[in-house]
Amino acid sequence: MKKSRIIPIMSIIFTLLLILIIIINQVQWQNHEYYYELRRTIGLPSIAIGTNYEGTRNPLLDIFVRALYDVPGGHDYVVSSSFIDTPLKLKDFFERIPGFNMTVMREGK
Amino acid sequence: MIKKQKNIISYAFDCILGYKMRTMVILITFLIATTMISSVLFVKDGLEKEAEISIEAAPDLTIQFLRGGRLEPIPISYINEISKIEGVEKVVPRIWGYVGISNYVFTIVGIDTSNISPLENFGLESGRFIKEGDRGKIVVGKLLANLLNLKVGDNVIFLNEAIQAKKYQVIGIFSDQTSIYTADMIIMSIEDARDFFNIPNGYASDLCVYINQRYRPSDIAVKMSTIPNLRVLDKDLLLRGYKVAYASRGGIFVTLWSIVLVAVALISLSQMIVVGQQSRFEVGLLKSFGFSTLDIIEVRLIESLVIGFFASSLGMILGYIYSLYLGAPGLIDILLGWYFLPREFRIPVFINWTTVFSIYSVTIFPLLIATVVPAWLNAITDPDIAMRRGIA
Repeated sequence: MKKSRIIPIMSIIFTLLLILIIIINQVQWQNHEYYYELRRTIGLPSIAIGTNYEGTRNPLLDIFVRALYDVPGGHDYVVSSSFIDTPLKLKDFFERIPGFNMTVMREGK
Repeated sequence: MIKKQKNIISYAFDCILGYKMRTMVILITFLIATTMISSVLFVKDGLEKEAEISIEAAPDLTIQFLRGGRLEPIPISYINEISKIEGVEKVVPRIWGYVGISNYVFTIVGIDTSNISPLENFGLESGRFIKEGDRGKIVVGKLLANLLNLKVGDNVIFLNEAIQAKKYQVIGIFSDQTSIYTADMIIMSIEDARDFFNIPNGYASDLCVYINQRYRPSDIAVKMSTIPNLRVLDKDLLLRGYKVAYASRGGIFVTLWSIVLVAVALISLSQMIVVGQQSRFEVGLLKSFGFSTLDIIEVRLIESLVIGFFASSLGMILGYIYSLYLGAPGLIDILLGWYFLPREFRIPVFINWTTVFSIYSVTIFPLLIATVVPAWLNAITDPDIAMRRGIA
């Protein structure tokens, strides 16, 4: 085989390998044991990634507020500083979510 | 025609190795950029998916009590009022809160033990789950179990906010498989949780409302909007809230990465210009042999496609390995911000087709653009002039 064919062949192999990894990953997620009964019994939303920060397991509002403690004005400050870049492009950001001050919009918009 | 295309492709392949420096520079820069972005996006997608699964299992509605815009314990007397609403199947009080142990904050959840079936699978590594009548007994997640080296049967003392010592016996430890959800949890009966948090009788942290499947939770939520001091959260709202939270973190990284991508595109452009100058004689020779301007551009496009797919595909494979097996050190902190990821569970990595196609499009497309312009400038030169300039 010519040396010059190595990179093109490798690029096809890597692309096929990536597709295989994606398929395997998706099948793994489909067959993943979610322990649905456990989650249903406990009923808390979110996941355990915030154990040094006491707002994470709390439904919605305190996700942001508790980060800098609940000082007067802290709510607006934390919420607005939490939204940088892409959320501004998200449809969800503009919908009315109770507790998120920045989502309030004028009627008719 | 086919033979011509074969020759063009073959010549393009030869050029990839012929211009080693350009190939290496583009490969390495794209490989680094793709590995970084894919690693973060795959983890972000995994965390979002795990959060979605948790929210799916959450109560249809969560009712909180607000006073002055702040959360306070909710009077249990609300249960009667809410139960009367058409479509409400069950209202369950819940008491939960946080306890600080060492440098970590753990989540204590008090659950109503009367509704738990002993046959259900709760993903325990050892011991058993809380059952009706259990007092002073807890089930703990892997983070606490490892921190305090706890085993089933051990006794543990927690200090509450009132600096009162409360003693509990560990009766179960959650397994690694559930750690993404339970790592920071301490499960106890609702009575024990009330005692621990000093919540007076007749109050709870919040109320979980389960709706009959024939009704829409949002319709029931609207009916509750007239009840004073209540804040009603439905699953959809929670899901959107958490998605925004993860997207904001991912967004910061994507902003940084966009800058890297522009730099990579500029490097590719400069390399293509250098190659264009080096290959003037060659291009002039090709044109005198009958290659058209389009053929020259096609050669460069084929080169870029091969290099682009090589770097992007390999970068994503490396990004997957970097996240799944190494835990994406360095990058995960940017994504999670002030959050903390316990070592007790593997980071969830989910590869979404949309994410993969996005990465391909934002890496290969700029590379093709960076290729076409210098190739076109090179190819439109008169063959004679091109060869003279090439020799000079």
